[in-house]
Amino acid sequence: MIVFKTFLKVLYKCKMPVILFTVILILFGVMNDSTSDNTASFTASKPDLVIINQDEEEGITKSFIEYISENSNVKHIGNDNEQLDDALFYREVSYIIYIPEHFRSDFLKGENPKITVKSTGDYEANLAEMLVSRYLKAANVYIRELDSEDEVIRQVRETLSKQAQIEITTQIDGAEISRLVVFFNFANYSLLAGGIYVVCLILSSFKDDNIRKRTMISSVNEKQYNRQLLFSNSLFMIFLWALYCILGSVLLGDIMFTVQGLICVLNSLIFSLCCLTISFLIGNLINNKNAINGIINVVALGSSFLCGAFIPMEWLPDSILAVAHFLPSYYYIKTNECLKQIEVFNAATVQPIVINTLVIIIFMIVFITITNVVSRRKRKIG
Amino acid sequence: MFVHHFKYSVITLFKNKMLIFWVYAFPIILGTLFQMAFSNVEHSEKFHAFDIAIVESDTVQNNEIYREAFRSLSDEQSDHHLFNIQYVTEDTAKELLDNQEIAGYVVLTDPVNVIVNSSGAEETVLKYAVEEIAQQEAMIHTLINADMQGAFEAEQSHRNPEEIYQQAMALIQDDTVNIEDVSGEHLSYIVIEFYTLIAMACLYGGILGMVSINNSLANMSNQGKRISVSPAPKAKLILSSVLASYVAQLIGLFILFVYIVLVLKVDFGNHLPFIMLLTLAGSLAGLSLGILVATGMKANENSKTGILISVTMCGCFLSGMMGVSMKYIIDTHLPVLNKINPASMITDGFYALYYYDTPDRYYQDLISLFVFSGLLILLSIVSLRRQQYDCI
Repeated sequence: MIVFKTFLKVLYKCKMPVILFTVILILFGVMNDSTSDNTASFTASKPDLVIINQDEEEGITKSFIEYISENSNVKHIGNDNEQLDDALFYREVSYIIYIPEHFRSDFLKGENPKITVKSTGDYEANLAEMLVSRYLKAANVYIRELDSEDEVIRQVRETLSKQAQIEITTQIDGAEISRLVVFFNFANYSLLAGGIYVVCLILSSFKDDNIRKRTMISSVNEKQYNRQLLFSNSLFMIFLWALYCILGSVLLGDIMFTVQGLICVLNSLIFSLCCLTISFLIGNLINNKNAINGIINVVALGSSFLCGAFIPMEWLPDSILAVAHFLPSYYYIKTNECLKQIEVFNAATVQPIVINTLVIIIFMIVFITITNVVSRRKRKIG
Repeated sequence: MFVHHFKYSVITLFKNKMLIFWVYAFPIILGTLFQMAFSNVEHSEKFHAFDIAIVESDTVQNNEIYREAFRSLSDEQSDHHLFNIQYVTEDTAKELLDNQEIAGYVVLTDPVNVIVNSSGAEETVLKYAVEEIAQQEAMIHTLINADMQGAFEAEQSHRNPEEIYQQAMALIQDDTVNIEDVSGEHLSYIVIEFYTLIAMACLYGGILGMVSINNSLANMSNQGKRISVSPAPKAKLILSSVLASYVAQLIGLFILFVYIVLVLKVDFGNHLPFIMLLTLAGSLAGLSLGILVATGMKANENSKTGILISVTMCGCFLSGMMGVSMKYIIDTHLPVLNKINPASMITDGFYALYYYDTPDRYYQDLISLFVFSGLLILLSIVSLRRQQYDCI
């Protein structure tokens, strides 16, 4: 109990940096959630594009613009070239269509006028190009066969109105689950960074030479002392985890109260405890308070980047993922990613989740064992 | 005296392990992490042919338009290669879809049925492609009908329907769409991450300036007290401290540059002298920020470091370090913020060199950095002048 009381006293003393750091990490989580559309998925079925029309908006030109506008998200960025190029570079739009002067008259003469485009070359740009080329192709064919412009426009529109029937087999709300997974994947950084910062900060106070000497000559045995410290610190970790989950239920809404949400919450709880053991090990290894910030950046940022906390795991190169297998974050994030694909929860589909959880627990046991060994070896002072 | 103080300032800076970590090691570690994480992002975003299945049926066998279109779309030699196609039974197609071995499968009915697992990019491309074939089919039917009607009206009953069909097919296949792509070759937005990293390293260099000035200030360190009571001219001492930190900062940046360009192979374009000039100006901005924090604020060294790191990280955040789109959002909605943000000036300067052919925007950023540095140094001089202590 005395260890726990001291822990609370130290925590109270460090309240300002602890609160500030926790708030910053939680804010990062919120910001990541609000901007995750740009990074996590590229499922938009309508490409973002700009149309710069230098011709008069009449006849076939008007019909072409209307068709593209109906099937894409047309953005109005202005006519300034620098603004347009910036928008393309930063993927605000994927495609820019320049309709030249006299497009309509050249087209009616059967000259197949040139359309200039700028493209990012990604999926969305590909979709945009398909739209442009399918319209122009149909129009080019009909202009050779039909006499009047109105008839060409009518036939092109009729042809292009042919749609395929789409059947989506899965019942999972992909977008909502993706958002849930992105939010909890980011927790990898928040929980690790928060855990290491606070645990190391508190442990460094316990590691003052005089205090350690005093503890060592006391009747409390080393393992028991470590266990009490670990349990005390786990309180903070659970507080941080709860804060993140509460924030998740505010931001994500109903999806948090589904089986997927529950698995994410439980998975993050186990990972929080794993973060605690990692932090405890680091706290026992270092003696310098100033080094904490450096270690947070290396450990938390490192494992977050390597295991896919910031960008989707499927985008990481295989070599990086091979290295990531040696980090607990990988198994935590893998469980979250599994949820995107599981439709029915049964023994077979849940098996990978159970295996990942077991691996995290094994990591925890390994970290606790190493901590005990390190702390015993470091008993000698002076 | 100048050389003596310069030499010892450099030695003092290099003996500070925390400084070495933040200014030298941290940008390199972060750069390595960026490279590991982002190396595949743009490649993943590019379009790649993917696997689909087509359910075998008599309709597939008899419909030449679809057969020909799918053959062309699955031809690996063709520019239009979109899919790797398997012709299977419906049950096998379902199984393949369940095992996520294909993005979706197509059943030729009227209208054509496309079955997919979810609504992703590949699924959208599949839908678009199938629709395009359906539209081509509709177009051929329209042409045949028009031709047949024409033949009927002209009483050319000798015209063979097969001939008309072949003509319509030829008309559609012959047609080329006249689209010219004029996009520049430099479209990799991941480079922005590395530009913000250089900006961060330039501004973190301010910590060196700050520590160096703190060492010379009587109210900050014992060494400062010792220096202040010495008969050496203050201007010389400050100038040599500043120069020492600028040199230390440039060494760090040089190592970072070598690492980024030679090891991580990041493309900075072909404007080496301009890049060097921008880096010198960026470091000067970082240095002047550090000096202002050191001279203008009455706080202990930890608080000053905290402030400097916070300002740097905020600046880097706004210039796109934690998400490239942030720079664009600020540039379009609150441009004034990025006009006074040194991290953004540096990032934008590199971006202008990489993306644009004309140097106007680069010069604008460069001049802004010099003005920013000049202003901050002026403020620092004002706050340092006539500083005297009767006792501390």
